[in-house]
Parts: sequence; structure tokens; C-alpha cells
Amino acid sequence: MQNSTSDYRLEMTGISKSFGVVSVLKDVNIKVKPGEIHALLGENGAGKSTLIKILSGVHQKDSGQVLLNGQEINPKNTHDGQVLGISVVFQELSLVNDLSVAENIYLHKLGSSKFWMNWKEITKNAQDLIDSLGFEIDASAIVRDLSIVQKQVVEIAKALSEDTKVLVLDEPTTVFDPKDTQKLLDNLFKLKEKGISIIYISHHLEEIFKIADTITVLRDGVDTGSMPTAETHTDHVIRLMIGRELKDLYPTRTAKIGDTPIFEVKNLTAKDNLVHDVSFAVKPGEVLGIAGLGGSGRTEMAKLIFGLYKKKSGTILLNGKEIKTSSPVEAVAHKIGFVSEDRKEEGVFLPLSIKKNISVTNFGFISNKFGFLKLDKEQENVSDLISKLNIKTPSSEVTVKNLSGGNQQKVALAKWLSIDSKVIIIDEPTRGVDVGAKIEIYNLINEVAEKGVAVIVISSDMPEIMGIADRIQVMHTGSIYGELSKAQFSEENILRYAIGKELK
Amino acid sequence: MALTIKQQLSSPRGWLNFLIKHNTIFIFILLVVFSAFISDVFFTSVNLSNLLKQVSGIGIISIGMLIVILTGGIDLSVGSMVALLAVTFAILVNTIVLPLAIILTIAIGFGLGSIAGYLVAFQKMAPFIATLALMTIARGLGFIYSKGSPITFETAGGLFMSNFANNSTLGIPNIAIVFFIIVMAAMVMLKYNVFGRLIIAMGSNEEAARLSGIKVNKYKFLVYAISGALAATAAIIVASRTNLGSPNMGMAWELDAIAAVVIGGASLNGGKGTAINTLMGVLILGLIGNILNLLNVPSYPQQVVKGAIIVFAVLLQRFETK
Repeated sequence: MQNSTSDYRLEMTGISKSFGVVSVLKDVNIKVKPGEIHALLGENGAGKSTLIKILSGVHQKDSGQVLLNGQEINPKNTHDGQVLGISVVFQELSLVNDLSVAENIYLHKLGSSKFWMNWKEITKNAQDLIDSLGFEIDASAIVRDLSIVQKQVVEIAKALSEDTKVLVLDEPTTVFDPKDTQKLLDNLFKLKEKGISIIYISHHLEEIFKIADTITVLRDGVDTGSMPTAETHTDHVIRLMIGRELKDLYPTRTAKIGDTPIFEVKNLTAKDNLVHDVSFAVKPGEVLGIAGLGGSGRTEMAKLIFGLYKKKSGTILLNGKEIKTSSPVEAVAHKIGFVSEDRKEEGVFLPLSIKKNISVTNFGFISNKFGFLKLDKEQENVSDLISKLNIKTPSSEVTVKNLSGGNQQKVALAKWLSIDSKVIIIDEPTRGVDVGAKIEIYNLINEVAEKGVAVIVISSDMPEIMGIADRIQVMHTGSIYGELSKAQFSEENILRYAIGKELK
Repeated sequence: MALTIKQQLSSPRGWLNFLIKHNTIFIFILLVVFSAFISDVFFTSVNLSNLLKQVSGIGIISIGMLIVILTGGIDLSVGSMVALLAVTFAILVNTIVLPLAIILTIAIGFGLGSIAGYLVAFQKMAPFIATLALMTIARGLGFIYSKGSPITFETAGGLFMSNFANNSTLGIPNIAIVFFIIVMAAMVMLKYNVFGRLIIAMGSNEEAARLSGIKVNKYKFLVYAISGALAATAAIIVASRTNLGSPNMGMAWELDAIAAVVIGGASLNGGKGTAINTLMGVLILGLIGNILNLLNVPSYPQQVVKGAIIVFAVLLQRFETK
């Protein structure tokens, strides 16, 4: 081992990464000293997570250099990263639900040493580790039985069970209440004193300004430079995060918005998740945007309305009359449609043809009372939608698997247009869709609204939601925190509501 | 795809793809040609009608297995159900009028299948477990009700059934006609009826089906009930053929049925498979047994060959998906 002369624990220089033709990171630089808390900020999709995944070995960089203590490293997988002392707490919890807390914490070490496990010792070590963090969790409990907050703590304990040199925390406090957040931050200070370098990703600017020594802002895959926290302030950081001009992506809204709401939700509260006291109303022809950070309960709210989660209280009204949507079957019967954010798992039937995908909601129309299909009528209906939505395909028999993301999304939407839905909820309408198809989907949403449909669009993409919505409601910790009228649209205002702050 | 056969065959690569895509039919044709060459008795009407009679029972439960597998499930209970229901039918034939005995047997089959359907659809039990339990229960009940020995048909109704099952119409065995009608009904239901569309949609992506407002649980329940009713139909046929109901009938038939469905190109993950290909799978399995019998190959080597053919057919299908 040669002695390093570098002042930095970690240096990532000139990092670039593309997925296919999409360039996610362009020449990104970040340097972290021992015992430094370095905040990494940026909008959803700015490239923060990709950068971290390159550091930890999940993804491989296309170009650039990563130095750890002055030595170049190239982790090929997360295990390599762990061995080098890089521990990451990801947003998506990576715990094994059916194992105990202790087993999870030492999972990466199980099987590496001896034949026999000393469970007593492992459990005791795990308990000591958790106790040292100041949280009350039984190390022998099964992870499945823990609350989401406790799971997050276990995840952090797991990262610390290694001889960690660089600890990365990706939005660790989204599920924490202020008290737990404070505990976590206290722990970070302790780790900092031990000389561990911490990279901290968060949308909560308040936290950042409390703990970070240095801030780096990523925007569209480019870093806007690093600066000491002392030399900057909230407004400056928000400007750096946004600072982008809106291109001509969005159609002029031409739909005539009706006077009385067609769809209303009052004090809707979920039984099993964080969604509570959600109220809003949508008029025919209106596009209502739902914004909020990941984990704020947007998707859960949509699924609650659609009958996929159980309701605890609250009412849903369609045309002023109360309706019940205790299952998707009932929601669809009331002509409510839902396009899931997870297109491949929940939106389309990949191995089936376009025709079979579109017809799946519409059998009442294209079959007789014995359930036999009227094939002519089906073909007519499907061909009509293919041309109306401009789905690019040689025939309606092509399997959806072979279509591009944008065209798949159009198929997912087509099945709801096929039954003349009155309310359509679209979760992340353009995730994984190229720009050309994006514009088509925006136009489509506009056209659907023009027909008098109430459209609810959930999106993490702030320019997108400002471009297509008539009104935006921002969710924060399971409820709607505030509403923005068109005149108030700005990324700063959305972000402020999303992190639970008042507008300036 | 909307390509015509002519377009598909326009290149050498096209030929190969065509062969791979329709591999079950080609394996079937190959086997027929092969059999005809190596044995003079193969193409006699006695042998062919024997072959058809032998496969009809397993063929009928294979169709039930197909629709269960299309939803991504599995039904291990059908073999034992055949035994229990054959015993049931023999008892009923000896006690009540024939039409009622038939209807009641099929209804009991539907009811037993419903139990598995209920456990899978509404209690979220794994299909493998639920039908495994039903498999042992049905086999046990078969022995209890028959007191361990075969029950012979003793009434005029029984005689009528046994005549029906052993005779032919226009040279085709009557029970094979029943089997073919069921295959055709399944074909029509899967291709031209909402029922087929829905179970295929469910099998290819259950979550997307649920989110499309499909009553996923209802259809899951139904496929097991239908599989039970088809097991009852098979039971009536095999009992009538031999003029008795025995608790030893249908031993390991569920495995042959699964093999037939898989040789027919269906995916055990669900969403893929057709009735006509399952028919081919049934016939292929039957042919292998038949030709090996004609060649006086003992039964143990026969099992080895059967296994090898399953591996070969499924390997061929892997090329198709690439």
C-alpha cells in the first residue's frame, strides 16, 4: 500500500453514465473529506441515485475516475463496494422480510466465516449496534413485523455493521417524524466525529442546512459545483436545483372546464397506509396535478381511490352521488380508470397483443350475453383507438412487449378510453418515455380532458406537471399540504409545499 | 403476427422458425410416420382406436389442467379425483337412474374442484398446496367409499354406459368423440369467448388484470371447479370402459396431464397455451406408449423415453421464445 497524499477520502471525477441513448450523468465531480457530511441535492431524475449506484457498484460508470483514499477503485457489484468500506442505505429498503433483525444486519457476513453460526453473539452484537443508535428495536424480532421507521433504522444499522469509511444515505428521513429525524442527525454527528465520510441525499433542505458541511447540486445529470454550506442559503440552492427553461413540450390547454365537479373525494383516509384526510374535487375537462416527493403517498392515494387499498373513512362522490370503490371491479364499473406508474408490472400485459390489451376492460361492449366475442366490433374499436392514439405498429396483433415505452403507455391508456371513462387517474404518465412520445401523451391528456373527462395526473416531474395541469395539489406525508393555482405554478412553490413549508 | 404462412416460409430462417413454432404438430407427425414404418400393426383400425380410447381419459383432464395452468396455477388433485369420482359413479349407477347419476357425478366433481378454487382464490393458498391436499383427501375418500375394492356396474344403466364406452361411431370410439368435443369446446372458449381472454390475461399478468377491473378471484375459483367437473367426466368414461369404479384408477394421471400440457407448449407461469396443442401433447404421450408397446418395450424403459421426450419438447420451445 502506498501512502496517499490526498486530503480527500473519496474523489469522483468526470463521471459520465448513459442508459441506452439517455445520458444520465455528464462529467460529474464530487469530493468528500474524512469526517465530512456532504449533501447531494437535485430534483427527481437529476442523477443523484445513479451517481450513488456507481459509487456502490450497482452500476458501472462509462467514464471518469473514483478514488478512495487516493487509490482508484472500480466496484463491480455491491459486495465489492462493501468490502472497500462503502455502505449505502437506499431509498428502497433492501431487507429480507422473513429474517430477524440480527440476521439482516449481518446478512452479508453469514456464510463467509465459520460453518456454525453463533446466533447468541450475532444477536447480541446487533442489539448493541441498535442500542448505540438510540432506537428501541428487539434484534431478534422478525423484520416483517417492524414498522417502516424501524425498518429504516435496521437498514442504517446494517450499513454501520461494516468497517464503513463512506456512508451514503439516500433520503433516510422521508418516513421519520421530527423526533426520530433528530435522533438520526445526532447519530450522524457521532459518526462524523469518528472520521466517517457521509454523503447525505435529502429533499428536506432544513436538515441539510443543519448538518451538511458541503453541498453539491446536480441538475439534469450535471453538477453545478460544490460549495460550503456556510456560504449559501436555501433560495440559492433551490434556484440551482431548478434553473432550467421550460421547452415547448406542452400543448395549449383548450379544454372547457365544467362548472360543477364531476369527481370529489372527501376526507379519504386509508386503513393500512399513510394516506389520510385527503379532499379534492375535479371538474369535467379539468386536469388536476398531484405533486409531492417520493413517499408522500401519491400513488397510495390513487390506489386507495381505485379500491386497491382498504379505506378507513371518507367519501368518494361521482356526479354528486356517493359511490363505493372497495375493489377495482367497482371502480371500473363507475368508469374510473387508473394507469399505473409501473407499466410493466401493473399497466399492460406484455406477452399479449395490442388488441387483447385494449379489449380487456371492454368485454361488455364487444361480446354477446353468452360471452362470445364480436370479433368485427372488437377489431373496429381497437383499430380506431390505434389510429386515434397514433400507436406506432404494423398491426393490432403485435405483442405489446415489442413496442417502445411510449407506445406501451398509449396502450395502457387506450384501455380506459375504450370504455369512455369519466375519471382517469394517470400515475407518472411519461416515466421511461422518450421526448417525442412525451409530447404525444401530453396532447392525448389534453384531448381526453376536452371530452369532458376529469383527469388526475400524478407526477414527480415538476416541469411536466406544471405544463399539463390546470391546478396542482401538493402532497406531504400522506395528505394534501397545499394547492397551487396556475398563477402560482413554480418549482419553488411545489418544492416548498412538498417539504411542508409555506409559500414565501 | 399477421404474417401469412407463405411469408413465414420465404427464407430458410423462416422455415426453421415455422418448425420451432409449431413443434408439437411436427413431433406428432414425425412420431406417426416413424411408428408406421417400424410396425405393421400401427396403422390398423384396432390399434388406432385402442390408442384413442387409452388417451381419452387423460386427455379430458389435460384440458382442465390447461385452463388451470393458463391462470398460472396447477391442479394436482385430478388423478385422485378420477378415482374418487369413478367410485362415486359406480355407486350411483347402481342406485339411481343413469342420467341423474351422470349429472350428480359431474356436479360432485365441480363441487370438489370448487374447494380447491376457494382455497386458492379466496384464501390465497398456493395452488400446489391446496390441490396436493385435495389429492390425498380424494384418494383416501375413494378407498373409504369403495372399501378398498372395485365396484362393478350391476344395472341396465351400467350396461348402457359400458356399451357406449366400448363402441365406435363412424369408426371413431365414442369416448374419443367425447374427448374431441371437449377439446373443441375449450378451443372455442379460449379463442372466441371472454372467459378465455380473461384467464389468459390473468395468467400473463395478474396484477394488471386486477387493475383492469377483472374479477380475478372469481375466474381463479372457476378454473379449478371446471377442472373438477372435467375430472368427473373422465372418471365416468374410464369407469364405463372397464365396467367398474376402482380407487386405484387415475394413478399419477395429474403428472401425465401436466406433461401433455407442457409438451403442448404451455407455460407453467400462465398466459400461454392452446387447446389444440394440448391435444397434440396428449396424442404424443399416447403415441410413445403405443409404439413402445408394439415394439414390446417393457414399461420401465418406456418411462425413460417419455421423460426424454418431455425434455426435448420443452427445449425446443426455448428456441421459440428467443
